[in-house]
Amino acid sequence: MQNDPAKQLERNARLMELLARTALKDQQAFAELYRLTSPHLYAVALRIFREAAAAEEVLQESFVNIWHHAGSYVAAKSQPLTWLTSIVRNRCLDQLRRREVETVTMDDEEEGVTIAAEDPTPLEMLLSGAEAHAVKDCVEALEPGQKQAIALAFFQGLSHSELSRHLRQPLGTVKSWVRRGLERLRDCLDRAGVTR
Amino acid sequence: MNLRDPERADALAGEYVLGTLRGRARQRFERLARTERIVADAVRGWEERLLPLAEALPAIAPPSRVWAAILARIRSAPAAPRARSLLWTPVGWWRGLALVGLVTSLALAVALLKPAPPEGTLVVVLAGQDAKPALVATSARASRYLTVKAIAPVAVAPDRALELWMLPAQGNPRSLGLVSMVSPAGVARIELPAAADQALQNIPALAISLEPAGGSPTGLPTGPVLYTGPVQRLY
Repeated sequence: MQNDPAKQLERNARLMELLARTALKDQQAFAELYRLTSPHLYAVALRIFREAAAAEEVLQESFVNIWHHAGSYVAAKSQPLTWLTSIVRNRCLDQLRRREVETVTMDDEEEGVTIAAEDPTPLEMLLSGAEAHAVKDCVEALEPGQKQAIALAFFQGLSHSELSRHLRQPLGTVKSWVRRGLERLRDCLDRAGVTR
Repeated sequence: MNLRDPERADALAGEYVLGTLRGRARQRFERLARTERIVADAVRGWEERLLPLAEALPAIAPPSRVWAAILARIRSAPAAPRARSLLWTPVGWWRGLALVGLVTSLALAVALLKPAPPEGTLVVVLAGQDAKPALVATSARASRYLTVKAIAPVAVAPDRALELWMLPAQGNPRSLGLVSMVSPAGVARIELPAAADQALQNIPALAISLEPAGGSPTGLPTGPVLYTGPVQRLY
């Protein structure tokens, strides 16, 4: 979405207004909210599932949920797009959890983590996301393994064991990459004033 | 989890938002975040740190059927007998009522069909993306015809047609044929494969898509879905 800070502010104000009107069951506002945010949220879900049907279902469930619970959005506490993204991501991860339970016996098979070649890699996306929010230094300061593990977990929803298989590293190693990477990222981002 | 250890709470919150906290641990943590302020705050902190990074993803427009399905779901309704009187009560009344969307659309259907339709009527209020009702389809439950009436101007280019679809709970949309409005009355009559009661059994919603003149060449909607609405049974 927008990277220009002034435009971001404007967009956030607009999204907050639409959420408030959606909480009053204004279908027109809800339609506009969908129009503005669904391409971003669909991309988030599609990256995680790599399968349109599952991503569409999560998007549908999420927006039905948003329609019913827009009133629980508290503007002072988080940015509107962050709130919406968290709803979609949590639903994706729930869905993945269900699948893991269902396919536990096939767990050893190599998973198809195939992404079209022209798509940016998770690492490239992590960097460009960081650049957009002026936190590129923080992401670049991570060690290569940490960066890779965090990017794959975040954009593609890989679990610890999937990371271990995908990166061909022992489980303990990827777990510590994730843990240390997150700690480092938090310390750097908080110094940069990203969080309140 | 030991809540006296804020470091631990924060580390778990980070893995939760990143997505590497999985399985039962994830569910337990989620429950904890609902009741423990310190956990909820840690989660929000991580959401603010990480989720904006997702904005780098190239946006992808979802297919229009997703919105059609959302609309059908927030409007679809089991009949609520008091709907009509509730429509005009103060705005705050519905807070916390999960069924409000359904009640509103049913009340709207009833209001549009004054005087009240006879017993045993099926009603579908079809609305566009702007949520404004554009057409109303009605049928007696034993009738083999559906009457579609435009209640807002519906303009179609000469080389295009409107096609009416049944959206089953599962599986592909099934065509009911073209909606050709005889202006200025704006009423179309569509033959159903069986009596309405039976033909629309297990059909939660109808939709109208824009197709080439003569209708969809593939048997499935090919153009944008312009209007959707839930099937309401007033009996």
